[in-house]
Amino acid sequence: MHNATTIPWLGAAHGVPSGDFLGAGVSRPAVQGLAGMEPLADRLLRSIEPRTPYAEILYQSSSGEVLRYDRSATAAQPIPRFEGMVLRAWSPRGWVEVSTSGSDPERWRTAAEELIVRLGYGGGAKDPPGAPATGSADRSSLAVRPMAELPTEARLALAKTWFGWATSVDGIRNAYAIIESRTDERWFHSTTGARRHQRIERARGSILALAIENGKIEYDFVGRGGIGGSELLDTMTEERIVRTATEAKALLAARAAPTGRMTVLLDPSTAGTFAHESFGHGAEADQILRDRSYLKPLLGTTVGPECLTLVDDGSLAGGWGSIFFDDEGHETQRTVLVDHGKFVNVLQDREAAAALGRKATGNTRRADFLSRPFVRMTNTLVEPGAEKREGLLSQVRDGVLLESCTSGIEDPQGGNMQIKVKKGHRIRHGEVGEILPSMALSGRVLDFLKSIRGVSGREDFELSPGYCGKGHTDILPTGTGGPFLLAEATVGPA
Amino acid sequence: MSERAGSADTALRVADRIRRRRSTPWDVFGESIQRYEVHLNGKAVEMSRGPIHLEGYGIRDIEPREGSVGVGFSASTDLSNEGVDRTLAEAERARPFASFPAKSLELPSGDARPPEVDTIDRDLWDRPEATLAGLVQALLAPFDRSNGAAPSFGSIRATLSEETIANSNGLERKFARTSVELEFAVRSAKGPEGSPPGEYWVNRLLGRIDPKAIGSEVEVWCRKAGEVRHAKPPPSGDLDVVLPSDVLADILPAILGFRLGGAAALRGMMPIPGTVVGSPGLELYDDGLLPHAPASGPCDDEGWPQYRRHLLHQGEVTAPLYDALHAGALGQPPSASARRDPIAFASWFRFSNAPSPGPSTLVIPPGSGGSEREMAEAVGDGLWVDQLGYAFPDPISSAFGGEIRLGHRIVGGKIGEPVRGGTVGGQLLARPGEHSLLSSVVHIGSESRLNARLFGPDLAIEGLTVAGE
Repeated sequence: MHNATTIPWLGAAHGVPSGDFLGAGVSRPAVQGLAGMEPLADRLLRSIEPRTPYAEILYQSSSGEVLRYDRSATAAQPIPRFEGMVLRAWSPRGWVEVSTSGSDPERWRTAAEELIVRLGYGGGAKDPPGAPATGSADRSSLAVRPMAELPTEARLALAKTWFGWATSVDGIRNAYAIIESRTDERWFHSTTGARRHQRIERARGSILALAIENGKIEYDFVGRGGIGGSELLDTMTEERIVRTATEAKALLAARAAPTGRMTVLLDPSTAGTFAHESFGHGAEADQILRDRSYLKPLLGTTVGPECLTLVDDGSLAGGWGSIFFDDEGHETQRTVLVDHGKFVNVLQDREAAAALGRKATGNTRRADFLSRPFVRMTNTLVEPGAEKREGLLSQVRDGVLLESCTSGIEDPQGGNMQIKVKKGHRIRHGEVGEILPSMALSGRVLDFLKSIRGVSGREDFELSPGYCGKGHTDILPTGTGGPFLLAEATVGPA
Repeated sequence: MSERAGSADTALRVADRIRRRRSTPWDVFGESIQRYEVHLNGKAVEMSRGPIHLEGYGIRDIEPREGSVGVGFSASTDLSNEGVDRTLAEAERARPFASFPAKSLELPSGDARPPEVDTIDRDLWDRPEATLAGLVQALLAPFDRSNGAAPSFGSIRATLSEETIANSNGLERKFARTSVELEFAVRSAKGPEGSPPGEYWVNRLLGRIDPKAIGSEVEVWCRKAGEVRHAKPPPSGDLDVVLPSDVLADILPAILGFRLGGAAALRGMMPIPGTVVGSPGLELYDDGLLPHAPASGPCDDEGWPQYRRHLLHQGEVTAPLYDALHAGALGQPPSASARRDPIAFASWFRFSNAPSPGPSTLVIPPGSGGSEREMAEAVGDGLWVDQLGYAFPDPISSAFGGEIRLGHRIVGGKIGEPVRGGTVGGQLLARPGEHSLLSSVVHIGSESRLNARLFGPDLAIEGLTVAGE
């Protein structure tokens, strides 16, 4: 499941400025002030080692600030200083994990003892499947203007400016402006000698314009975000915010959207969510090993048109879901899932890679130190095609433009997906017409793929930050992206 | 309550440190949690997790001002003296930038004795790993009999939580609770050749799960997984639709929890008391004392004693849900409705969020609609929606809509062939004269069920839009 808006006024964001913000990174101590814990972590691993062929420890610390402003209230809230570690070891019965919050050495030692109890005497366990990470690396994300240099006063002033732009539109009484910065630091040590440190800083800004009339409430939202600093907020321009507020007002008078099977033009946020829900979740190899993916028998076959290429890219510069290493210590990478219509790759952790005779793709992620690892997406994208937006529009005799995607959900077993958008526009004879309220696209992924008629070019490509759950839990940041995409689908109420 | 329940004193320790440094109002909410998880791949245990120890606290540093209140909030997992001092300093630093239009702020005192409420599964509390193993065994046992279905994947996650609240008004509260999250998918390969396997995917959040009752539930899930496999697309149009309480649990708390709360009232987004938003026979309560509901407790997350409050009477809005801040802003007494967990997504810890108004467990009393069979008879022709992919409730606009993972046609008063695909949705609330789910309830079932934040029966809704294929 992907949510661009876990609560609607968090908003979704589209696009990041160009620049290598994640890129190569820099080498510097990632986890400051906790260097003293690393020798303890290594001692704990050594104490566990006689009971297991493999063990690892992951430490995580997160911090940041969320500033919210609307007509009624202001809140500047530090993101909880959330830290702790998880120990994972291989046993004859599979993986065993214990975890504890804080950085109290006594708690860490107690956790290690609890793990040892659960591992038993340690006999009989062979090495866990797959290749472990090895070697050392230390990486930090870069920002042109780090959020730490934007004090709370300046964030509040910026939020008030956005609020002013939104409420300058007639009929918009209130708006929620949010400016958010998050730092996630992790280090990973293992009994195979891997030592990985990473520090990632994310920034996001959004505004939700609220229109209320005679008891009816509507809204529209716009946001920007990714890895980087306050330069990401520069794209929240007056023109964009006023347009968003104007659309919110127009939604009050919108008539019900048409329902049934029709031609649909997906905007970049919706196309990105299509990539996430269609070939993202289904291509997570743990689902394939569980025999729970409709894609399993299709690997290596042509599933879509030549114009369709889908990618998961954890190394994408500025991507909201980018990381340097996954939580098994493997470097992240760009993985082409569908190459010009042919389904060529899946996303793998070490176990799945071993089972499939492939290499780990750096997609093993934990939501935090309290959550188990799964094969997860990073940034999942529809690659730009060769068409122009206007060219795609001209092919539509009667259909809808789906915009401002809020969320999606997949059905890896049954091969269905659902994507919800906040608004849309009617298209008749190639012309964009009246505004439409929230809609849901649904149907079988393979049918949708067959119906794709075109993908627009790089000039339309945008990235969106969001959050993804595995099922309804384990929510972590994932990016989506794409240009415009033309297809046929069932559209219904949402 | 077992010996272990109530042994943690997280907030009280933190409060002891704050007391020496603050003369202005403050409160602190602490949690000390042990969690255990079993993850299944088919019938095999894929991963055992636990104990997962989590201890943390959130501090509110409050400054009454002329016509408003400054509220700084910060949270941490660092229980050291330095950690508490740093967290308090962060809350203090945030306070000048956090302004709320409350004319006054009333924090609870320790004078009122909170009510008793059963929030602990004693077996789970005393023997968490053994009880979890028993639940796994009960979940998998029905598959020993050949029924054409198999477990696909799943997890059972048990949380043992000790919660403490303290404030500058002398309040000190301690209580404990258990909760169990069940995620389980059943796969069936019975039926037509060539179709993908059918899967029925269940999500439950409860204070406890009875291992004796779960076996019969699994049998139902297996049958439904088989039906998924040969289900056909649903019809299109405005249909009479029965939404079972499991589906309603995804929709009602998320939307009504906001729209009937103080945050919405403050912003002019709540229907004013006296407005008719529901069908004449519709009653709705918020009950903080429902035994073994995951959101129940002797007090809310600010420490106000819990009770059962009326939200809709004969379809008419009665009163909103207030925490202390929103009550102060709107000139009302708090309604013990301060919640620190998000409404839409289950969270097994809450200390990391500042409180805001929200429901405990929404309760719709059972009606005269009878059993499933009688509800279908009453509807005549329409659709029974067993499960949505997700209802995507929108708290602001009150729109909802989800893909039909499994449903059944209702034909001539009988539950007929299974359907799957397309979407069903609409508005939960609407202006008078416009269609909404709440104003179109025509039959209320007679059997209630608890899941997450809703305890209620199945509802038959007139004229919901279905987009079939």
